[in-house]
Amino acid sequence: MTRGRLLRKPLDTADKRTFRVRSAAALGPQPSADLGPCGAFVELRRSPCSHGLLRNLPRVIFAALLALPLLASFAAAQSISQKGFLELKGIGYPQTTTQDDTQAVGEALVRYEASAKPATWLKLTGALNARGDTHDQTTWDGVDWEDRGVTRPGLSVRRLSGLLSHGPVSLEVGKQFVRWGKTDILNPTDRFAPRDYLTVVDNDFLAVTGARLTAGLQSNTLDLVWTRFTPSRTPLLDQRWSGLPEQLQALPLVDAGAQFPTRSQAGARWSHVGSGFEFSLSGFSGNNNLPLIVTSVPTFPAGVVAAPLPVAMPPAIPASVPIVRVYPQIWMAGGDAAVPLSFFTIKGEAAFFGTSDARADQYWLYVIQVERQSGEWFFVGGYSGEVVTLQRTQAQFAPDRGMTKAFLGRAGYTIDTNRSLAVEAAVRQNGDGSWMRFEYSQASGQHLRMTAQATWIRGEPTDFFGRYNRNSHATLTVRYSF
Amino acid sequence: MNSRIENHSRSCFLELENYSRSCFLGRSTVRKHSGIGFWRIAVTLVAILLAPAIARAQDARQIMEEAQKRTDAKSQHYEGLLQVVDAKGKVTDKRWSYDRTGSHGRSKSVLTFTQPAEVKGVALLVINYPDRASDQWMWTPAIQRERRIAMQDRSTRFFGTDFSFEDLEERDTEQYDYAMVGDDTIEGVACWKIESKPRKTKSSQYTSSIVWVRKDNYAFQRVENFVQGAIARRLKYSRIENVQGIWTGRVLEMADLRRNSRTVLTFEKLEYNVPMKDENFTLQALRRNQ
Repeated sequence: MTRGRLLRKPLDTADKRTFRVRSAAALGPQPSADLGPCGAFVELRRSPCSHGLLRNLPRVIFAALLALPLLASFAAAQSISQKGFLELKGIGYPQTTTQDDTQAVGEALVRYEASAKPATWLKLTGALNARGDTHDQTTWDGVDWEDRGVTRPGLSVRRLSGLLSHGPVSLEVGKQFVRWGKTDILNPTDRFAPRDYLTVVDNDFLAVTGARLTAGLQSNTLDLVWTRFTPSRTPLLDQRWSGLPEQLQALPLVDAGAQFPTRSQAGARWSHVGSGFEFSLSGFSGNNNLPLIVTSVPTFPAGVVAAPLPVAMPPAIPASVPIVRVYPQIWMAGGDAAVPLSFFTIKGEAAFFGTSDARADQYWLYVIQVERQSGEWFFVGGYSGEVVTLQRTQAQFAPDRGMTKAFLGRAGYTIDTNRSLAVEAAVRQNGDGSWMRFEYSQASGQHLRMTAQATWIRGEPTDFFGRYNRNSHATLTVRYSF
Repeated sequence: MNSRIENHSRSCFLELENYSRSCFLGRSTVRKHSGIGFWRIAVTLVAILLAPAIARAQDARQIMEEAQKRTDAKSQHYEGLLQVVDAKGKVTDKRWSYDRTGSHGRSKSVLTFTQPAEVKGVALLVINYPDRASDQWMWTPAIQRERRIAMQDRSTRFFGTDFSFEDLEERDTEQYDYAMVGDDTIEGVACWKIESKPRKTKSSQYTSSIVWVRKDNYAFQRVENFVQGAIARRLKYSRIENVQGIWTGRVLEMADLRRNSRTVLTFEKLEYNVPMKDENFTLQALRRNQ
């Protein structure tokens, strides 16, 4: 198994990771668009604080025990609502990858959410996460607020916000979730919703810190959002979900951190709900929460510094190739609509992404889908597309764009009150890649649910799905909700 | 002129159950202009022939309107305990909190699950209209999104219960045609047995329903819903009590006869005319009240 070496974490950047050299032959020009939509994911440092599940588990249990007395006291107050869960997940990978031969991963997560309404016009909401895993994806380093590390924080504030309401106007301030868009499979207009992509196909939303003003009643609503920048968490470079192209897997990549934008971001959305339709128009100005991957000057043995990644192959193996995550400035204009028809509901969403950053592309993303519920069945099917109006060559990590030019679908069947089946799939229009997931879920009693999933991924190495060709896996999740 | 009168006569018959005799009285101004005795005689003859049926329909409508009038309230709140009993007899408990402002065709309601923990916070907003089917949205906290429940999806079960999305609407008498079937006795209580059929403006999964209305207090005792002549769901009311002047069945049992399962809904902490704000019954409120 090839694992990275430990480096110190710079104060002003995110974690760094290194990746061991296998061959210098792959060292070429800067990673460019030929890396595909996923590009190179460049975090390669083992955090000094990272631990396996066996070391983290006592902390998770301790956090859970600590929460119990709080639960009891909260339960006594009528204006306070609470819920949470303990989730244990086991993931099995039949195949190893070049940079990661781990085939079994365990994860544990405790989440506690509470909300209080001290006055009719004020509501406070908070949520805490405590987690651990067996695959060095979690860092325990106090209570994390920012969610900017390359690894998941062991103990973090998932959400903490205050909501002030007066008539049709409400203002929510703090760490919160902001979701825009109507489609289910891909949301081009959902600009305030960064995600944790450590496991690319099983991602989770991250909250953003800022303020959200909502004005309006049922028919017309204006949503104004201002937030501090929060990046999506990209896959760890020394793990299987990095999706590195074969020629890059041999490079001694070093994460030189991230250049987080200092400017804030803002957006506005106007929604209209009619009797037989609804639509929204939205605009956003800020930075993409998915990074460009920018390489710096490689360092060769004996301290020789080369010009930025030479076009010709260097004769010597570089000691390191620093890579920086850069979040380009973007603006977005888009809209979404839903129209219920006689036999199905049609939903669409489209957005244009412009930029002043000379390294980033300008492009359209759009999704059109139909959905239908019939008896115990639920169907969603659609197509997601991309039109690039200005192509640049910078490598990037962009799973949203990686999911485009594909047919997408989901079908679900409710067997009975406690059991359900589902299948989801995405198939590239040129047939170069596909992803499919089967799921069986069963509840037991009031608190317990078991979910079994099998995910199958296939594709050409140049395809987004194909980069995860060896990452088909099975997952078993047991969740105790309280 | 003739066609005007003919059209008017036709619409009058079509809307017979709506306007009943007042419709005929309202035609007097038109008759003055007609000058054609044939139509007057024809209409009168048809009216005489249909009189018994009209009277029965009128009775049925009057009963339903009276029943509706007696349940009018500015608002309603209750905590619901749901016990879902599947075909094998296995019982699953759920709880929801229900708030409604307005009555019948002009009401808005929010239903929020409070138990089990995994569905806590899931909410349904229903906006009812007097002249058409309701609008419904479901809020799912796990994905922080609402989803509009399309018309064709209303026949599906609501979150594993035996209530469909449509069953959670408030019915308004203006959306149905009624016909008296006869008298019946249910569990020792004398009832009127009335057939209701949805009007064209009312999109419904059910082609007809039979409603048993108690003669003593106009409360519903039972409703059987039919799809193409076959019974699909049966709703039984029990523990009918007078709550703040409104006779209310405090236990509802909805049976899905095709699945052989049933859900028992018990009203707890039931209150009428509780002060409620209109702005709490919007999509925005669904999000902020999660």
